[in-house]
Amino acid sequence: MNDRTPNRFTRSWTSAAAGVLLWISRTLLSLLISYPIVLAIQATSMTAGPDGDAVLFQPGSLLLLELLRLGAAWLASATQLALLLLGVSAIIELVPLALALDLLSTPGRPLPERWTRALRLFPKFLALGAITLLVQAALLLAASLLGAALKPALASTDERLRTLAPIALTGLGLLACTWFGSVLDVARATLVRHAASQTECGARTALARALVCLRLRPLRVLLGPYPSVAGSAFAFLAAAWVTTCFLPARPWGLALALGFFVHQLAMLFAIAWRVRWLSTALQLSAESD
Amino acid sequence: MRRVTQDLLIGVVFSALSGWLLKALLLNTGLSPGAPVPPAAKPETTWPALGPSALEVASYDIDAKLDTERHRVTGRETIRLVNRANSPLSELWFHLYLNAFKNDKTLFLRSPFGAGRSGNKAKEYGYVDVKKLTVRGGDGQDLWPTRDRHSPNDPDDETDLRLPLQSPLEPGETLELELEFEDQLPELVERTGFVDSFHFVGQWFPKLARLEDNGTFSHFAFHAQSEFYADFGNYQVTLDVPSTFQVGATGSKLREEQDKGRTRLVYRAENVHDFAWTAWDHFESRSERIAGTQVRVLYPPHQQANAEAELDSVRFALPHFNARYGAYPYPTLTLVHPPEAAANAGGMEYPTLITTGGPWYSTFGGGHFIDVVTTHELGHQWFYGLLASNEHTEPFLDEGFNSYAEAEALEARYGKASVFGGFGLSVSSTALNRLFSAARGEDEKIAQGAADFATFRSLGALVYSRTAIVLGTLARVYGSERFNHALGVYARKFRFQHPTTADFLSVMQSELDSRAVTALTLALSERATVDYLVREISNAPLSAAAGVFDGPTGREQKKPEAPHAAAEYASRVVVYRHGTLQLPVEIELGFEDGTKQRRRWDGSEFTFNVDNIGPSRLVSVNVDPEQRILLDDDRSNNWLSTENASAPHCRERALYAAQILLGALGP
Repeated sequence: MNDRTPNRFTRSWTSAAAGVLLWISRTLLSLLISYPIVLAIQATSMTAGPDGDAVLFQPGSLLLLELLRLGAAWLASATQLALLLLGVSAIIELVPLALALDLLSTPGRPLPERWTRALRLFPKFLALGAITLLVQAALLLAASLLGAALKPALASTDERLRTLAPIALTGLGLLACTWFGSVLDVARATLVRHAASQTECGARTALARALVCLRLRPLRVLLGPYPSVAGSAFAFLAAAWVTTCFLPARPWGLALALGFFVHQLAMLFAIAWRVRWLSTALQLSAESD
Repeated sequence: MRRVTQDLLIGVVFSALSGWLLKALLLNTGLSPGAPVPPAAKPETTWPALGPSALEVASYDIDAKLDTERHRVTGRETIRLVNRANSPLSELWFHLYLNAFKNDKTLFLRSPFGAGRSGNKAKEYGYVDVKKLTVRGGDGQDLWPTRDRHSPNDPDDETDLRLPLQSPLEPGETLELELEFEDQLPELVERTGFVDSFHFVGQWFPKLARLEDNGTFSHFAFHAQSEFYADFGNYQVTLDVPSTFQVGATGSKLREEQDKGRTRLVYRAENVHDFAWTAWDHFESRSERIAGTQVRVLYPPHQQANAEAELDSVRFALPHFNARYGAYPYPTLTLVHPPEAAANAGGMEYPTLITTGGPWYSTFGGGHFIDVVTTHELGHQWFYGLLASNEHTEPFLDEGFNSYAEAEALEARYGKASVFGGFGLSVSSTALNRLFSAARGEDEKIAQGAADFATFRSLGALVYSRTAIVLGTLARVYGSERFNHALGVYARKFRFQHPTTADFLSVMQSELDSRAVTALTLALSERATVDYLVREISNAPLSAAAGVFDGPTGREQKKPEAPHAAAEYASRVVVYRHGTLQLPVEIELGFEDGTKQRRRWDGSEFTFNVDNIGPSRLVSVNVDPEQRILLDDDRSNNWLSTENASAPHCRERALYAAQILLGALGP
């Protein structure tokens, strides 16, 4: 510890600020992503009645399926557009992520300086993201190919094994992807730390250092994101449970407000655990230098 | 290391909580499986008496031996035909259904690929060879060579063959025929055949076409879209299989004998019109007495959960159908869950034997797939088994009515979550039937022969789903108890009687009214549709008349009042009916002050002006707010509101979904 190490209050404040920053950026981008879908729903006139879109959520889903039947073409186009926007948003979100990492890395700097650094880091973050995407695609492809190769060998076995083996392999592929994602986060942290201290570091160097970190502290790198992933799953399922069990009996206006509150609370909870992992990634990066 | 342990512990706790929540969300169906729900039906004493017992017309004694290596069945068969018609018979018509799989030129297999129910083509062909046919008590002459060589007007098909009689069979007389035959089973196609050592043997023996009252036979070549039609009779069937095989069959097992590694099982079924069986050396089985019937489930290894779910369905549906459509009259019911590789054998009905299906994980999650299949096939014991309408010429009388019965039973059990319930979402059978059939009413007639439909998909939408929606609409318009009572009367009155559309309509006339009969006739036979819609809402302020008035006291001039001073408004909305189906409908009017009014329109005209004079402006209208008219082609034009049609709930949920996706896929 030296005199530049932030105290607990500063760490908490910067974590909260980073979390709120990520939540705001994700919410704004999600509004953009969901907009075509909402427009397509409204275009069907299924929400034009006196009860608005509440009718779509009636038990039995008669009118929800009517929406899918009547609006299939619009919804299909809107979904394509939403997916495109999702891809673009995932790229744009690299900037707030860099900003959040910068906040966590070096508290007390002026905001314009952080923005400048975050924007400068964008191409490197993009390159790291592209490398990760390629590696993750290769991992999933390998899992899929292994599943296909095992198929003949499993043909005469218990049908449960035949069903579960490809799922288990895909699960392993996804786990490997998550692990590589955690390496990516350590690499991003390395880039941000070096940018803050104005030392040169490229995407390849950052990735190499992250891999060194993985070799030195494998358990911390691989298990570090586990609370974040499991915590997010818990938050979303808990929100679904609360909205399913407690909100349907409420008046629709109140249910809407409470639903929004519960969902955003779950989102903030998930983001908070993500920020905790990003702090760990910065720490791991520093320890590997 | 402390940090690693901490991360691990936190992750494990979150994972455990997530697992618990996931289970809670998926099981949140509103009703835990197996909970007994008494069917809402009247006691049997209040119903009309059941129809007379089946008249024995065509009975069969069969002795069959299964070669599980070559997938062949060799058999001897005695057919006892009683001429119940009112005229002499000079010929007989035989269905040799298995010949549908003989080669690619048969009517069945030359149909465009995918036109049939499974969409599968035979990989190994199958056929039935009749070796010999003699008349018992006759001169022993083999009559089979005197048959027609092919189906009428179809030289490539041998599923519908005529056999001239040497001497006419007078009304009331009995003819006994003795046959020898050999089946080569196809690799499983359309619910019949083998896969490895699994054998499902349906439509496998030479069988007489149904003899109508006028002395003609209702015979037809086996078309890929068609099912069956036959006379009632008694079946006694001896099956000879390897001792390692378990057998399930129509009827009750009378006895079982073991000899030199083989088992001979004798089954008897009375008052039925078909006999099917299955044999496999991997079956596991469970039995249970339900509502006085011995129910047995045959299922593949490791599928105990599916077997339990199937029994659970029967525990609910059998008493429910007994109450709705009259008691199941047979002592046994066999459920066959085919193995995964023979999934095409699933979802089929035979008297006292049904096949279900689904992968081993079917009971996981909030879906009720096993319940849907089991309840549907069980319902066929009435709408096919006991009523026995002609499935070739009027398939909707079985499949359509049974789809309604299935949806009604599932919704009695699971409410609106009859197909799926979980994550706060519920999907009902009625909603799915409407999804598959809405706006398809003008495609083709529902009431037409199975082979007349353009494609099997069209048949599926109209015969299964749209018929269920037609009946569901009547149930909602007339009240479900009243309509279900009418259907119950039909099922009881025409048990064993092979009813037709006319028979059904006669019951609807007596139990409902002539408007119901008109609607049914139009919807089933005339491609009739209906779409209620509104286009605009009009409001005009009412004020005292202004202008120049000549009265007894002279000329008087009245100035118009300011619009805001109006004490009342004249409001009008015009409801239109497109299509020719006339069904009564409720119209809900909403006013600016929050009050609501209901009006009823009998739907007889093409337009209906809904006028109102009141203190508040009309701001919304909702035609058929309770969604009784399931046949309404387009529900998006049933309402109007002068308020902005925003979609806040959709907006909120779409935002949240996008946030989750971005979190998962983003950085």
